[in-house]
Amino acid sequence: MVQPPSTFAQYRVLLAKDLRQEFRTREMLTSMGIYALLVIIVYGAALALIARDVDIVTMGGGLLWALIVFTSLLGLGRSFAHEKEQGCMEGILLVPLDRSVVFLAKATANILFMLAVEIIAVPLFYFFFMTGQPAAATLPAIVAPLIVGTIGMAGIGTMLSTITMNTRAKDVMLAVLFIPLIYPLLYACVTATTAAITGNEFWMDFYIMPLVLACGYDVVMLLVCWVLYDFVVSA
Amino acid sequence: MSNKKVKAPEAGQWPDKVLIPALIAGAALTTIGFLMAFLWAAPVNGAQLSEPVLVGDVMVTHQQLLSQKIFYFHMPVAIVSFVALVFVAYYAIRFLSTRNQRFDTCGRVAMEITLLFVIFTMVTGDLWTRFEWGVWWTWDPRLTTYLILMLIVIAYFVMRGAVDDPERRATYSAVIGIIAFIDAPICMMITRLIPSSIHPVVLREGGMTPDMAATVFIVMAGMLLVAFGLYRLRFRQARLAERVEALKEQLED
Amino acid sequence: MNAVEARHLTKAFGTRKAVDDVSFALPEGAFLSIFGPNGAGKTTLLRVLSTLARPSSGEASVAGIDLKEKPDEARAAIGMISHAPMLYPDLTAEENLLFYAQLYGVEDPQARVSELLEAVGLSHRRLDPVRTFSRGMTQRVSIARALVHDPRVVFLDEPYSGLDPHAADIFDQLIESARADREDRAFIMVSHDLAKGFSMCTHALVLARGRVVTYAPKEELDFDEFSQLYRDTVGMGVA
Repeated sequence: MVQPPSTFAQYRVLLAKDLRQEFRTREMLTSMGIYALLVIIVYGAALALIARDVDIVTMGGGLLWALIVFTSLLGLGRSFAHEKEQGCMEGILLVPLDRSVVFLAKATANILFMLAVEIIAVPLFYFFFMTGQPAAATLPAIVAPLIVGTIGMAGIGTMLSTITMNTRAKDVMLAVLFIPLIYPLLYACVTATTAAITGNEFWMDFYIMPLVLACGYDVVMLLVCWVLYDFVVSA
Repeated sequence: MSNKKVKAPEAGQWPDKVLIPALIAGAALTTIGFLMAFLWAAPVNGAQLSEPVLVGDVMVTHQQLLSQKIFYFHMPVAIVSFVALVFVAYYAIRFLSTRNQRFDTCGRVAMEITLLFVIFTMVTGDLWTRFEWGVWWTWDPRLTTYLILMLIVIAYFVMRGAVDDPERRATYSAVIGIIAFIDAPICMMITRLIPSSIHPVVLREGGMTPDMAATVFIVMAGMLLVAFGLYRLRFRQARLAERVEALKEQLED
Repeated sequence: MNAVEARHLTKAFGTRKAVDDVSFALPEGAFLSIFGPNGAGKTTLLRVLSTLARPSSGEASVAGIDLKEKPDEARAAIGMISHAPMLYPDLTAEENLLFYAQLYGVEDPQARVSELLEAVGLSHRRLDPVRTFSRGMTQRVSIARALVHDPRVVFLDEPYSGLDPHAADIFDQLIESARADREDRAFIMVSHDLAKGFSMCTHALVLARGRVVTYAPKEELDFDEFSQLYRDTVGMGVA
């Protein structure tokens, strides 16, 4: 009566569960969305006096990524709350399935939530801070670093929030581990994004290389997380 | 099986005997290296002077960099800190494959040594930055890497303090240890390879003269011995504390 | 074939042994109650037997399948009901059960889930989110969840905690029908309630400091003697 389903089928079931739950509660999306808006408001206050004198476009990449890092931190911290609360994580671990599927499904869900928030937050950011000057022709190129960065952050963030769901002071713990570990990725993505936003004649020099390095980071880190996840989740 | 005596944690056998000699030899070598750096190794030329001046009996055409002497300590401590991190990763893998508490203790102590030497690296690096480039901090790739590494190592210890179950704590520590070991070189690579007008690659890649190499080698050998001695000392202490706990428990039975 | 077998099972970290050299064999269709004071290692033993924790040494098998060699096959034979319901509060009862049924790869999940909801008497609430359920109802859904893949062995970890007497009675009946449902299905229950655990079981095991103090079929035990023995054990555990 029971025949083991394929790994891919299990992945789909796990992912569908996360999406359905989010669709019902809209917990993650609303909290992350509102938080992103609040960060934009804080930027507004922080830049109120200098906005006219300083070229915000060159700072845009950095500010945008700061917004994304803090917003994702909020979402990642919540991503295992439901699993922990009612013991669901154990329920999943009791099922015969490869542990890395749990990682892949959760990481995919986190990527989707983060991208959904970015789709709203990035245009808002543009609207509030960068409409003063005509946009560079290369602006659409920011999509690539945004996606690569989001994948890497969601991957390592999923791993770390699995760890921090069992520690005291979860949210602080996640930030303490997350920010130093993603620093290289952040650095590369900020460089590529800034290059695309400013779009001067040498922009390609500052765009391709960081993007390639960010992809390299994603591949290495996702592989490491995928291999080590079994230990973390069964501990 | 339950009446068999439980094996209490033991501290290592032969390494503890060489611990004190290693520390002394390390201190001696480091001191010799220190003297060599100042008295023997030739000073490195800095910027060219507008006109040659006579200092003592030597005609000097370039600014003499005394601050460069920091390099003889900065580079060895930086390398030793990474060697310690290699051991962290090694013990982490050993722990994950054996689940033996001993390797968790090893990894933790190796991480403490890493932290100590990373802090040394930061301090010497920062002195260098101050005297050579005239600023207290610059986002130079190597300094940045070590800052990030330091933060990760600190996060490792914060995390250890926030988990109660010893086996879970050991597993998480091993995983973070491995990730830190992989993240550090990536961080170095990314910060160095990305061309940037704001962060010029300022470190000169001049070759080392034989006297410089000899000095660096001696200091490094000394530092490695000191690191090893400190590691064993701390490991012995941690292990004996575990032994006391174990014996207490046995007495309770 | 034995439903559950443990041979010199030990779970230790450093020198601290949560489970110490536990051996027993439970025949098919039996109901084992595990008793012991707090911190005796009951829950840890259950976690090791259900593959949630790995033993440091020794072997165990469930439904004749070795846990170390074929963990996934063993998992397919294990159901677990614990004090935590393992259900997502925002999903409906039906969605929760479908989720687990699909993960286990149950054939025709929809039919199986309807059948189980019928069995636990919650068909009329199947479209309500679990967070609107009372503790008793949640625990009934939890029974359905544990049985969704028709396991050979069911573990119960303090399932009565938080249940009022009426809900506990319903729970008893459901466990009874789960026993009748499949002859070879075995149960292992960890409980504080000596009288209840004793009345339900066919075998009893007392654990103290991770070690087996007594393991015997119920016929060989007299309740009064047993409870005396248990009190002595608890006394030993506290000392």
